[in-house]
Amino acid sequence: MRRRPDSALDLKALQTAFGRSMRPATANTADLQLLAGSDDATVVGQRLEVYRNNAWQSFLSALERSYPVIQRRVGTDFFRQLARDYRVQHPSQHGDLHWIGEAFPAWLTDRMQGTGYAWLADLARLEWACETSVAAARRDPVGLDSLGRFDADVLPQLTLVLQPSLRLVASPFPIWSVWQANQHEDAVAPFDLAAGAEHCAVACIADRVAVYRLHAADHRLLQHLHAGMSLGDATEAAAPDAETLGRLLGRLLGWAFGAGLVVQVVKASPA
Amino acid sequence: MPTPVRGPIPARAGIGLRSQHHEAILQTASPPAWLEVHTENYFHAGGPAVHALERARSRYPLSLHGVGLGLGSADPIDRDHLERVRDAVQRFEPGLVSEHACWGHVDGEHFNDLLPLPYTEEAVEHLAARVREVQDFLGRQILVENLSAYVSFASSQLSEGEFLAAVVERSGCGLLLDVNNAYVNAANLGLDLDAFFAALPRHAIQEIHLAGHSRRRVGSRELLIDDHGSAVCDDVWALYEVALRRFGRVPTLIEWDTDVPPLATLLAEAARADQRLERCHAAAA
Repeated sequence: MRRRPDSALDLKALQTAFGRSMRPATANTADLQLLAGSDDATVVGQRLEVYRNNAWQSFLSALERSYPVIQRRVGTDFFRQLARDYRVQHPSQHGDLHWIGEAFPAWLTDRMQGTGYAWLADLARLEWACETSVAAARRDPVGLDSLGRFDADVLPQLTLVLQPSLRLVASPFPIWSVWQANQHEDAVAPFDLAAGAEHCAVACIADRVAVYRLHAADHRLLQHLHAGMSLGDATEAAAPDAETLGRLLGRLLGWAFGAGLVVQVVKASPA
Repeated sequence: MPTPVRGPIPARAGIGLRSQHHEAILQTASPPAWLEVHTENYFHAGGPAVHALERARSRYPLSLHGVGLGLGSADPIDRDHLERVRDAVQRFEPGLVSEHACWGHVDGEHFNDLLPLPYTEEAVEHLAARVREVQDFLGRQILVENLSAYVSFASSQLSEGEFLAAVVERSGCGLLLDVNNAYVNAANLGLDLDAFFAALPRHAIQEIHLAGHSRRRVGSRELLIDDHGSAVCDDVWALYEVALRRFGRVPTLIEWDTDVPPLATLLAEAARADQRLERCHAAAA
């Protein structure tokens, strides 16, 4: 035990120096000397490497857990390089590792701009949607018969409360196809990056993430419903004419109720 | 949520529940006496992990063990994180709640690791105040765990045991004694184990952790790395027996967080701890 009260270092100053020493870009000899006191600063520096490695591995593992398909598409080495670069601009902001990947899709958008890999950012959005969908609350779904409680003339005034785990992602790239092709450990199914836009809905049903590919019009309608619009307003906003409107609404409602996405049907109060 | 098992954690061996064993723990024919989980893994409103723990909670007493609060950070405590801890405590009604004698964030960056504090009067005051803040917020006592460390600070004025005893005295917290951490610190930093145990207030020890460590060459010498990735070594078992003789029967956890083995391996380790707890009980009778 050492008793050297004269050398006591302010707690905040010590943690600031320690923190700087944890980052390659800010590590410096003066901080090491401050932490080490009369001990060997070289030894302290070597031992801090254990902490640097722990912090890096925690960060990398969290990102790998959130973005397994991205990692698979770009390969382990490039994913690590992406993770290093991402960490410089977005160091962990939480004590909970779950949130480390929150800014990754937006960061990838900037990073991949002008390259042939712009689709990776949208794929990352889909993977983050899966990540947050799993963590969302689950509510018991209601069936299509719940619409039957209402008179036909009030149907346009009804709003649907959807599963808290529902996420909607759209991309000019075929991100659903890429995601789907990379769900099996053994082999990657073929996919065509030139196949065009895809619109996805993500939900966690019975503790399993389901990723659906929707028609663009269905996706648009679901977005409006998800935003709290009534059936009447949502279909009017999503469909150009009455003929497609009926078909669209019937198809989407049949699918949404069947997939367990609707948890409540509510009649909107007159304004 | 199914009705949880309430009451204190029994003075027997438990295991850390990891996602690999969420189903097996409900089906095992030789269940451990209790379970511990990392609080942060159950922060979410839903999902398979949360629902698995709700099912397990109906069969097992539970301890919540936090790894992300960074109690000793000089910067303000993360209130959002603390609120999530409170939500988990209210949801799962654990018998014990524990955190670490560490810091984890500075100037807005979290390192997601358990970083060592200097053993100074200032750090005692700071950590004790933070523990009181957390206890007031949660409305219950927490346990604080001794840390494994790879550096010590020239500014330290107290021994590790004196530091922890002072935090207990000024905050009213209990202690979670990690025997492997003490062993690692003895090897890496020259901690005097006899003096360490002697300094700890007996009444405060409410839980013991046992875990494996690895060895890594760092610079010119070998360090023990507290990686929770292997079986408890013979020396740590021997030190555990010393701890039991000094502190009596205490709920004991087998921690295994990396390279997680089959559940049967964890249960076999728990059985070894139970044998020692029984011997301790018989000797005291």
